[in-house]
Amino acid sequence: MATRDFFVEVAGIFGRWIRKTLRRPMFLFFSLIQPIVWFVLFTQAFSSIGSIPQFALLTGTDSYLTFFSGAVIIQTVIASAMQSGMGFVQDLESGFLDKLKVAPIRRSSILLGKLLSDGFRIFLQTIIILLLAVALGVGVATGFGGVFFLFAIAVAFGIAWSGISTFIALVTRNSEATLMISILTTFPLLFLSTAVMPKALLPDWVQTVSIYNPISYIADALHKLIITGWDWSVLGAAFLVTLVVGAITLSATTAMFRRAVAG
Amino acid sequence: MADNIIEVRDLVKIYEPDVKAVNRISFHLKRGEVFGFLGPNGAGKSTTIKVLTTLLRKTSGNVKVDGIDIDEDPASIRKIIGYASQEVGIDDDLTARENLRLQCMLHHFHKAEADKRIVELLKTVDLEEAADRRAATYSGGMRKRLDLAMALIPRPKILFLDEPTTGLDPQNRQAIWEYIRTLNERGTTIFLTTQYMEEADRIADRLCIIDHGKIVAQGTPASLKAEIGADVVQLSIRENGGVDTRALAKAALSKVPGIQEIQDIEGGLAVYSQNAPALVPQLVLALNDAKLEISQLTLSHPSLDDVFVKYTGRKMRVEEVKPISRSPFSGRRRPM
Repeated sequence: MATRDFFVEVAGIFGRWIRKTLRRPMFLFFSLIQPIVWFVLFTQAFSSIGSIPQFALLTGTDSYLTFFSGAVIIQTVIASAMQSGMGFVQDLESGFLDKLKVAPIRRSSILLGKLLSDGFRIFLQTIIILLLAVALGVGVATGFGGVFFLFAIAVAFGIAWSGISTFIALVTRNSEATLMISILTTFPLLFLSTAVMPKALLPDWVQTVSIYNPISYIADALHKLIITGWDWSVLGAAFLVTLVVGAITLSATTAMFRRAVAG
Repeated sequence: MADNIIEVRDLVKIYEPDVKAVNRISFHLKRGEVFGFLGPNGAGKSTTIKVLTTLLRKTSGNVKVDGIDIDEDPASIRKIIGYASQEVGIDDDLTARENLRLQCMLHHFHKAEADKRIVELLKTVDLEEAADRRAATYSGGMRKRLDLAMALIPRPKILFLDEPTTGLDPQNRQAIWEYIRTLNERGTTIFLTTQYMEEADRIADRLCIIDHGKIVAQGTPASLKAEIGADVVQLSIRENGGVDTRALAKAALSKVPGIQEIQDIEGGLAVYSQNAPALVPQLVLALNDAKLEISQLTLSHPSLDDVFVKYTGRKMRVEEVKPISRSPFSGRRRPM
């Protein structure tokens, strides 16, 4: 019954993280309060961006709110992914990781259960943001099918991105460093992408950076799904970028994790 | 089935680059016994326990647990051991019941089996009332008890306990020792480290004292005490400027008849003698003649504390373990 064993141990670890997440006030803050603040601040301060003539031409909508909801999803996904590593630091510090290591489980279950819980957390947060956006009058052009793809992109990219934070956590074994590096990388990457502004309206150098910024491809796909409709080449690019980022971050994380549990 | 459930031969553990935490130690545990592993902080106790529980890879030597080579098949060893660490590996965000449920899942229990085991263990460690409260609200004693219950989930053949009572009040300590004794009576082999000599004396069938990564003594508590075979007088001499009062005292005492041995220990001297009560006045006189002032003098029949002092030159001091900070900004590195 090796398959059942594997399933049970992963489910145990997954359930543990979900419970922990839902019991922390941090979760509510990052998934509800922060997106609301973002929605209110940015869409109020920048609402006139929507009336720039090129804006509607470039994006397909004259509502900055609609355009910006993609950015809020990405911001939340990245911020959430960046917290993922903190759990491992706490487990290293508290000795809980030892408890897991002494148990007769596959070492990979520890990482797999954690990453799946990260994905599920991001899924919940994306639901909250979409509900917020819809409540504010944002519609999704591609309908239910589009919402499905939106979730798929958010969760897949979230898991891929959480590999970065987990890697940092396992290398530094220090929660301050993990948090600091996370914050330092999140914001610049968001603003140096096409998430908050259509590409043609960005300064030249930011346009150049945005080409190499994986977040741009995710943002483009979300914008299409929400504003204009199906564009398979943009969607394909988003999944390809997610795949590449995931392959890099998750293999680095797995290698570090192996070292952390090897003793 | 071999009589020895654990066999350790020439175990060496070197931390990079060259800290020899454990330096060629050999010992064994008999099936069904309580084995006490004693030593000052940093002597290599936790390192040894971590090697035996498969948490750390040994540098060299031979370790067999229940006949299984630790390098060849650590996975099988994990199925038959329970481990309660010094740091207490419980999840504060979960309740006792949830912590135990997780442990059941990690041991692949079926639901009905898990339900039964959880109820049973909550009762054993007396946590039924607090079972559905988050562990963050527990006292130190409750945390240790929960940790012990988690280690007991798989009904381990061998239970490893690293400082199970450190930092607890006498009542909780007593409770923990009673659980351990009951478990042992039902056949569980127990490997424990402790700083409480008195308790080790009462509970352990055999002991091993480790210092600077080496085993300095092993045997039953009775045989170790018998090895001293004498009463012990511990003396502290008042400092007197730059004078080496310790050397002067040793010289003065060496003239007193009836002394078996004088040993340098932390903070003074230990004098061993068959009949110390009769000797004390002479010791005092001799030191007085040498113009040395005694700041402290204790007389005792041999206890494990004295055994410990004899082999390590140090007094066993109980160091309280501070609860681990749970602040997300604590940023503390955990020594491995």
